[in-house]
Amino acid sequence: MAKGTNDAQLLVQSLRKAYAATPTSLKIIDLYVVYAVATALIQVAYMAMVGSFPFNSFLSGVLSCVGTAVLAVCLRIQVNKDNKEFKDLPPERAFADFVLCNLVLHLVIMNFLG
Amino acid sequence: MATSKVEGSSSLRHAFGGVLSVFILLLIGVVAFSIRLFSVIKYESVIHEFDPYFNYRVTQFLSKNGIYDFWNWFDDRTWYPLGRVIGGTVYPGLTLTAGTMWKLANSLNIPLSVETVCVFTAPIFSAFAAWATYLLTKEVKGTGAGITAAAILAMVPSYISRSVAGSYDNEAVAIFALIFTFYLYIKTLNTGSLFYATLNSLAYFYMVCSWGGYTFIINLIPMHVLLCIVTGRYSSRLYIAYAPLVVLGTLLAALVPVVGFNAVMTSEHFGSFLVFIIIHVVALVYYIKGILTPRLFKVATTLVLTVGIAVCAVVVAILVALVASSPTKGWSGRSLSLLDPTYASKYIPIIASVSEHQPPTWPSYFMDINVLAFLVPAGIVACFLPLSDASSFAVLYLVTSVYFSGVMVRLMLVLAPAACIMSGIALSEAFGVLTRSMKFHITKYFECSHTEAPAKLGESTSTESSAPLENMTKSDTTEKPEVARKEKVARRKQKKEKELTENAHVKPVSAKKEKRPLVLPLEASIVSVFLLIVLGGLYVLHCVWAAAEAYSAPSIVLTSHSHDGLHVFDDFREAYAWLRHNTEVDDKVASWWDYGYQTTAMANRTVIVDNNTWNNTHIATVGTAMSSPEKAAWEIFNSLDVKYVLVVFGGLVGYPSDDINKFLWMVRIGGGVFPHIKEADYLKDGQYRVDAQATHTMLNCLMYKLSYYRFVETDGKGFDRVRRYEIGKKHFKLTHFEEVFTTHHWMVRIYKLKPQKNRIRGKSRKSKLGSKSTSSKSGGMTHKNPWN
Repeated sequence: MAKGTNDAQLLVQSLRKAYAATPTSLKIIDLYVVYAVATALIQVAYMAMVGSFPFNSFLSGVLSCVGTAVLAVCLRIQVNKDNKEFKDLPPERAFADFVLCNLVLHLVIMNFLG
Repeated sequence: MATSKVEGSSSLRHAFGGVLSVFILLLIGVVAFSIRLFSVIKYESVIHEFDPYFNYRVTQFLSKNGIYDFWNWFDDRTWYPLGRVIGGTVYPGLTLTAGTMWKLANSLNIPLSVETVCVFTAPIFSAFAAWATYLLTKEVKGTGAGITAAAILAMVPSYISRSVAGSYDNEAVAIFALIFTFYLYIKTLNTGSLFYATLNSLAYFYMVCSWGGYTFIINLIPMHVLLCIVTGRYSSRLYIAYAPLVVLGTLLAALVPVVGFNAVMTSEHFGSFLVFIIIHVVALVYYIKGILTPRLFKVATTLVLTVGIAVCAVVVAILVALVASSPTKGWSGRSLSLLDPTYASKYIPIIASVSEHQPPTWPSYFMDINVLAFLVPAGIVACFLPLSDASSFAVLYLVTSVYFSGVMVRLMLVLAPAACIMSGIALSEAFGVLTRSMKFHITKYFECSHTEAPAKLGESTSTESSAPLENMTKSDTTEKPEVARKEKVARRKQKKEKELTENAHVKPVSAKKEKRPLVLPLEASIVSVFLLIVLGGLYVLHCVWAAAEAYSAPSIVLTSHSHDGLHVFDDFREAYAWLRHNTEVDDKVASWWDYGYQTTAMANRTVIVDNNTWNNTHIATVGTAMSSPEKAAWEIFNSLDVKYVLVVFGGLVGYPSDDINKFLWMVRIGGGVFPHIKEADYLKDGQYRVDAQATHTMLNCLMYKLSYYRFVETDGKGFDRVRRYEIGKKHFKLTHFEEVFTTHHWMVRIYKLKPQKNRIRGKSRKSKLGSKSTSSKSGGMTHKNPWN
């Protein structure tokens, strides 16, 4: 049992150390993802309290948060220099794709929001 | 200098090949368009069948009133007195596409009518579908396979059957949307570009707008993602291809009114959400694996598993409870009947009664995809050499579509693109190997002293001797050393090549090459190429025959050849035109639901039930009325404000799809809701008959009377040419209906409800006419009220 907790502590420490080594730009993207997911969770909690009456509004709100989180993760994948599959992809192109996809997503959200 | 010359000539060859490919694709588009024009040539430019008439009417409304009125349209001319919300129950893709094309043409001052645009929408989109197949197969295997697959799809009979000129139905644009969505998915998977992921979601949106079969896409893609994860092919490109599609796709699907919140609440979509969660878990696992040492990773996995399994069990229990609480486990009736083929016949007789929903017979496979049935297994083998994400997708698509086509004959249409892709791959690989062998032998024959000649075989080759007109001429550029055994197996599957079974030896070229091109002997190659071309020729012959003879009948106009020439039966349009010109605008017409769409579109009268079949009780009411005796039927129709009743009768000319042949379905559907209608009452000894041996109930029901009224006057004996015997009750009069119109060949008969008789108290006598008090006790003691 003690070994278990010891191992868990060691695990958490090594995770923290490895994560501290990532570049700052990627950490900013990670922060954005965490923010988006937190917003989604807040919306779900609110729906649980108040009820889901305009269901399309709830759906578009939650899916917009989840959508931007997913797109930010895709951007992070493409911009990460350790990722060998995307070494020919200029980061500007990755960012432009990210912006385009977000535009389409938010256009749909605005339409569906009611 | 020599190398630059080689490079220059090869780049010239590439350029020439590119131009040739574009030209071939253009010709493929022309073929796809032209082969569907047989019905326009043989009959006229008219809309076929039943469902296209509804789509045509909706497109007319859209072109006249604009998109906002179309979106909010409540139709009161159908399903009287319930009406139908068209905006919320129709898949708008087809009508919006045709409406846009019409608007575009008219804005350029090309005066096309709406009918012309509707008739020719399907051939145009089949050309697009052929090009989309080229793109998809190019992503899977290469340009040569792409061109072959496109050529095959342009002509495959199963796709022709649902997209001839005049067949203005959802599948006309939906198949193009399906193939294009799959192409964009594979392209995203191959390149990992978010741009293509966006386009993929938009193409999926177009597919959701067009057809209810979009659930196939939203279940096939998650299945493929799961397959890739399970077989260890997870990569970040897979995440980029799948995750944005789920989020954007669900939102876009929810935008379409017909789908609405079903996009998140029905079981058809749960698979995609489950795989969405799974792919996130897998992505996290791979990321952590990347930043931890192996020992710590093991510790992490044990920790996560113990906690995770507990949480999973709770979540799964909740989900199971939710799903089990609904009687159909959350699936819709149509999807459930696909998964369990016996479901519809037990619970929903309307779905079971549609002839397109029956399982296909074995000969229909040969009729619909012909030679491809032999080439598909070869294609599957070729997909495994080597296996890539795209080719595993093609195999999965084929396997699932084969299963679904076996359940419902209408879904042979979904099998057609998969079969074409596989056959294109198989033919392209076969041609590649054979022409490579031929070129190897020929160059060796002419330049036997050069040792570098064989080295050219590894690069791109272009065939000069065997260039079939409709197949591709350029084989794939990236050749891999294929194993001779597998080649032998692949070719054995093609039934024409019997000569190859003894010639399967490999010729090593020279000692200093590391890549050994595996070739076949020259004679075998030449004969095989010739036989493959003959195979292709037979396929083309069959496709043209099927398009011309089997699938071009508009079914609203019938023809027959007899010894004194060609007879044309235009009775349907005659009847609808009569209705249009000789009845009031607000009159209601009752008929069986098959003819509802045509009646509203051509006769412009309000109908009681139509092909949308969304209200089973309403249809059962009409079915009960048709199965009841005259008085009871009059009561039912009068309560629905019906003025005219329309029946289709084929006994005089031998038209087999008439209402008497469909009558048992009316009884079954009516009996499903009104228990006093029992099927056994209409059968004599379990047999359905209308001759002298028929039961009393059968001979007195409304359908019998309306079909055979005065039929004995045609030939004196009342011989029914469809049933092939004389009818049972020959001389009778109608008491509550009067005949107002019968078409030229007696195929459509229209009757009017007689106004309520002036009745005397007590028993009503037949010859009494208008002599007494008008106190009409409609629910009188002597009348049997069918509603109790």
